[in-house]
Amino acid sequence: MEEYPEELRTPPVALVSLVGCPELHTLISTHLHSEQPPINTLALPDFSKISIMAKTQKDTSASGQAAGILKRDWLLKHRTRVPAIVAALFSSDHVSGDPAQWLQVCTDLENLKALIRGRNIKLVLVVVVQSTSKHDISEDRMIALRKRAEVDSKYLINFVPNDALDLQQSLNRMGNTFAELANTYYRDEGRRIKMRLERKSFSSIELNIRYCFKVAVYAEFRRDWVEALRLYEDAYHVLREMIGTATRLPAIQRLVEIKTVAEQLHFKISTLLLHGGKVIEAITWFRQHNASYRRLVGAPEVIFLHWEWLSRQFLVFAELLETSSAITPSISFPVSGRADRLTEWELYSAYYYQLAAHYLKEKKSSLELALSMSEAEIDGMAESVVPAVYVGQFARLLEQGNTFSMQPLTDEDYIHYALAEGKRFQDSFEIIALVKKSFEMYSSSKAQRMASYCGFQMAREYFAESEFGNAKQLFDSVASLYRQEGWVTLLWEVLGYLRECSRRLGSVKDFIEYSLEMAALPVLPVAGVLSFSFKECGPAGPASLAQREIIHEEVFGLVRGQSSLASNEGNSSLKVTGDHPIHLEIDLVSPLRVVAATSNDQSVHRVETALVLSLVTNKWLRLTYDIKSEQSGKLECVSVIARMGPHFTICCRAESPASLNDLPLWKFEDRVETFPTKDPGLAFSGQKFTQVEEPDPLVDLKLVASGPALVGESFIVPVTVTSKGHAIHSGELKINLVDTRGGGLLSPREVEPSSSDNLHVELLGVSGLECEDESKPGMENIKKIQHSFGLISVPYLNVGDSWSCKLEIKWHRPKPVMLYVSLGYSSHSSEPSVQKVHVHKSLQIEGKTAVSISHRFMLPFRREPLLLSKIKPVLDSDQMPSLPLNETSILVVSAKNCTEVPLQLLSMSIEMEDDGSGRSCSLQHGGKDLIDPALLVPGEEFKKVFSVIPEVNVSNLEIGTVCLRWRRDSGPEEESGSNTAASEVLTKHRLPDVNVELSPLVVSLECPPHAILGNPFTYFIKIQNQTQLLQEIKLSLADSQSFVLSGYHNDTTFVLPKSEHILSYKLVPLASGSQQLPRVTVTAMRYSAGFQPSIAASTVFVFPSEPHFKMAHIMASPESIAVE
Amino acid sequence: MIVCVAVVGHQSFTEADDALKLHHIVHCSLDVVDERVNNPKKSGPLNESFLGLLCPPENYKVYGYLTNTKVKFILVTTDLDVRDADMRNFFRRFHSAYVDAVSNPFHVPAKKITSRTFAERVSTIVKSLG
Repeated sequence: MEEYPEELRTPPVALVSLVGCPELHTLISTHLHSEQPPINTLALPDFSKISIMAKTQKDTSASGQAAGILKRDWLLKHRTRVPAIVAALFSSDHVSGDPAQWLQVCTDLENLKALIRGRNIKLVLVVVVQSTSKHDISEDRMIALRKRAEVDSKYLINFVPNDALDLQQSLNRMGNTFAELANTYYRDEGRRIKMRLERKSFSSIELNIRYCFKVAVYAEFRRDWVEALRLYEDAYHVLREMIGTATRLPAIQRLVEIKTVAEQLHFKISTLLLHGGKVIEAITWFRQHNASYRRLVGAPEVIFLHWEWLSRQFLVFAELLETSSAITPSISFPVSGRADRLTEWELYSAYYYQLAAHYLKEKKSSLELALSMSEAEIDGMAESVVPAVYVGQFARLLEQGNTFSMQPLTDEDYIHYALAEGKRFQDSFEIIALVKKSFEMYSSSKAQRMASYCGFQMAREYFAESEFGNAKQLFDSVASLYRQEGWVTLLWEVLGYLRECSRRLGSVKDFIEYSLEMAALPVLPVAGVLSFSFKECGPAGPASLAQREIIHEEVFGLVRGQSSLASNEGNSSLKVTGDHPIHLEIDLVSPLRVVAATSNDQSVHRVETALVLSLVTNKWLRLTYDIKSEQSGKLECVSVIARMGPHFTICCRAESPASLNDLPLWKFEDRVETFPTKDPGLAFSGQKFTQVEEPDPLVDLKLVASGPALVGESFIVPVTVTSKGHAIHSGELKINLVDTRGGGLLSPREVEPSSSDNLHVELLGVSGLECEDESKPGMENIKKIQHSFGLISVPYLNVGDSWSCKLEIKWHRPKPVMLYVSLGYSSHSSEPSVQKVHVHKSLQIEGKTAVSISHRFMLPFRREPLLLSKIKPVLDSDQMPSLPLNETSILVVSAKNCTEVPLQLLSMSIEMEDDGSGRSCSLQHGGKDLIDPALLVPGEEFKKVFSVIPEVNVSNLEIGTVCLRWRRDSGPEEESGSNTAASEVLTKHRLPDVNVELSPLVVSLECPPHAILGNPFTYFIKIQNQTQLLQEIKLSLADSQSFVLSGYHNDTTFVLPKSEHILSYKLVPLASGSQQLPRVTVTAMRYSAGFQPSIAASTVFVFPSEPHFKMAHIMASPESIAVE
Repeated sequence: MIVCVAVVGHQSFTEADDALKLHHIVHCSLDVVDERVNNPKKSGPLNESFLGLLCPPENYKVYGYLTNTKVKFILVTTDLDVRDADMRNFFRRFHSAYVDAVSNPFHVPAKKITSRTFAERVSTIVKSLG
């Protein structure tokens, strides 16, 4: 696009000429230029310069036949020399000055008028009013001036430069006037020529085109884009029709001219369409343009001109599209359905760049051909050829003394000229630049394959220019795509180039790699019907089996050091020698993976050297090695190194055939179905590593646990190691306790391992170690015991020997625990380096609570202290139990065996915490201590009764801690047999605190323990007032059917402070058996608390007659009765 | 004249019987197929296998066809004056030939089609279209 002249590339801008008053020109030009639309100015400092606008002498050809289509300078003329308006600037001093000045003004004006006469150029008068000479110009002078200039009054402008406001007004007025007049001028000019078109008053088809062009340009001046576009199109169509008919110039030059004009017209049309946002139309137009001119190749001698022209069409359109798509980014794709709808790429400028490069390449090759055919003759002939007056024409400039004249060229001369011109340009760089641009655009729009194709072309151009470094880099990136997609034919070609590049660059390693890859490419076996011409394919020749063989021979000759290849770099040759050994590493990303189809063997860290190998096509070579495993673990075949010739090695990673299936090229291998080993499963999946197991241990490790462990006891787990074929050297026993639910054996709050209180399960130690270490003092005896981990050494054991120890584990909380014991030993000698054999055992042990202790408080029988806290409504249910002060309460403690084994209960006591403040309550236990241990079978409960008398009135009374001593009952025979009886365990249970309070009233009922039918007895109700207050007591007694009673039923009495009120009733039992005594209800008015004894408390047994039994045995104490 | 017919599977390239340039054309046209499949909005809904013209008709016309299993058929013709209907018809017949070929129990999926019958059928279809 840059090679087009400026006036063609940019839209035309109206031109105004300023004459006179040069000091104001800059100001006015700047203002006009910033107008919308802008106006260009042709500034002439004084009137003597106006001849520049003078009409050039038109050399009308004699025959009336136009000599060309468009004049080269016509556009430029209208942009720089022919203004639409001439503005004559006069100073007001001159206008109103003395007659000499006035005369000068008139003369200038006359000259100007003479110049523009008959040319329709508009005249505007500007009188510059200097505000310093404030006196007004006389009206007469102004009118005279206007008359003289023959202009309308509105085209006489007073220009006031000195005042800012006035200046702005003057400028605005001037701008508006100019714009209006320019519009008129260009419209009139356009109309004038359009008239000729309409009347068809033109003598030749060239003039027709020229008129259309001119009208279009005038329309453009007026910014009438629609009209401009229409006329450009007209011109274009007329031009197209001219091709077959015109006879004016010699054939070659005629076509050149037409194409040049077409190019300009097309450029205008495309620009207008694209700027109007009609992208689709522009693309369609371009397509038509391309279609109608592509076949107009012209004479074969100058066919390169055609390609150059075509390339330029694409390039210019690409640039236009690129700039316009920057303005209007979103192009909506046209609705599909039309047969010739646009394809995606036509919307991308990358496509046009690519084709521009393509045609430039055509041009390059045809130019080379043309040059080679006429090599000798093209010197000096073209020197004096210059572009002629008309667009697209050339002429010889003849110098005759001081005058120049143009002489038309013959076609022959023109060809020489064109060839000489063509020689001057370096097309390769242009091609690379174009393709590169296209490549980048395709890459950025994720069209990888198109980008690769461009990259390939770029690389080929570099290759042709012998820039092998650049070429190789590009070819490499292209090859990776083709490899990945498995396009063999394309890959073959690229590799051929790459091979050649590395040969030229002297890179032996690359050369061998590429050659090997090529030699292994699964080229289609249709070698017979190859239609590739040799011209077309790369340096490697056509992809065929024969060619593969040639490459194969070549590369193997090279790697064996038998042959060498000539390289370009400094005459050195490619050679594999001792000085330059080559080592190829084939890893998982290398393209040579396919080549080195792997064999499935094993080699350890040490290198196994094979003898001379020969690989047969499509057969797997099996290599078998005997490997003695020395250590357990993973044994993997890492790589296979093949050596060819004295100085060449290939290192190949081991792979299985299955993993090769990911490679696209592998699919072309015909006979993957042949298996590398006989075992098809193994051959397919491949196994390049194996697990070396350690020898099976011939040692028994036994863990025995006798049921669940009980919390608190030291639980014994015997461990027995028995050798059954291996002698045990330097054995080591590792013990681990792991919480089965996870989370460690420590409570989460406490992590210090030192505080054993918070340890739930603890490994206490190992007992029962046989004292062999004394006999072998030299032996290293490790013994490390931690809370959940232990390490002890096992002495030497001969085959058949056994050794045992006992693990002591203590549970602090009920918790299941996994016990892991592992024995590591070496079976042969006591050398520490030798592989050890390990035996693992594990055992889950449940930890259980042995006894559960519960307790409850009871009040003495038939004695009811009034506890005020019980009257109040209790909100919280877990209120502390209340005990009456100085009264005896009963505490029953029961211990239940929760295990599944019988336990022996040794003792139960309550330990009071002596806090130094003296005894707060007295505690006695009834009955005796256990002399013999009590046997508690599973589920059985043991109860013991204590009486408690609180002596201090405190709200929180600590009762104490129940201490229970027990042990496992190991049966009578074991107990006698050995001293392994389970050790005593002390289980403590802290009793909760109680609330002690003074009861204001105590009601006790007294009656004999039994009654006899018909015998009267006395029933006492004693109400004891423990307060300092007078207590009003209400009393009522309900009748009972079983008794006859004397005394009053309802009463209200007062009990004096600190005294006792006794009510006595005489009762005669009427029925025998367990009888309900009359229910008494006592109500303390002060506390509004009522009391009624329980059914049990008011029941008495009535014998039918006097019983006869020994009363001495009864020893009735309230406690023993209270026990259920 | 139809100069090239190609079957392009997920990765493999199977059948073409002409020059390197055609390989390039077919390969590049896969970008267009990708573009159409990936951006159905831009190029209108993709509701049939026939993809139509893939590349701007420069020297060749390139037509595409995409099966449900994402196998692409690409046709390159020098005849710049072909009707879409003919192409549609061609691809339909070609598709059925392809289906028959890959239904061969001895054909390994995603590998090259080696069937001679398939080749013959393809040439018949190509010839019938001229």
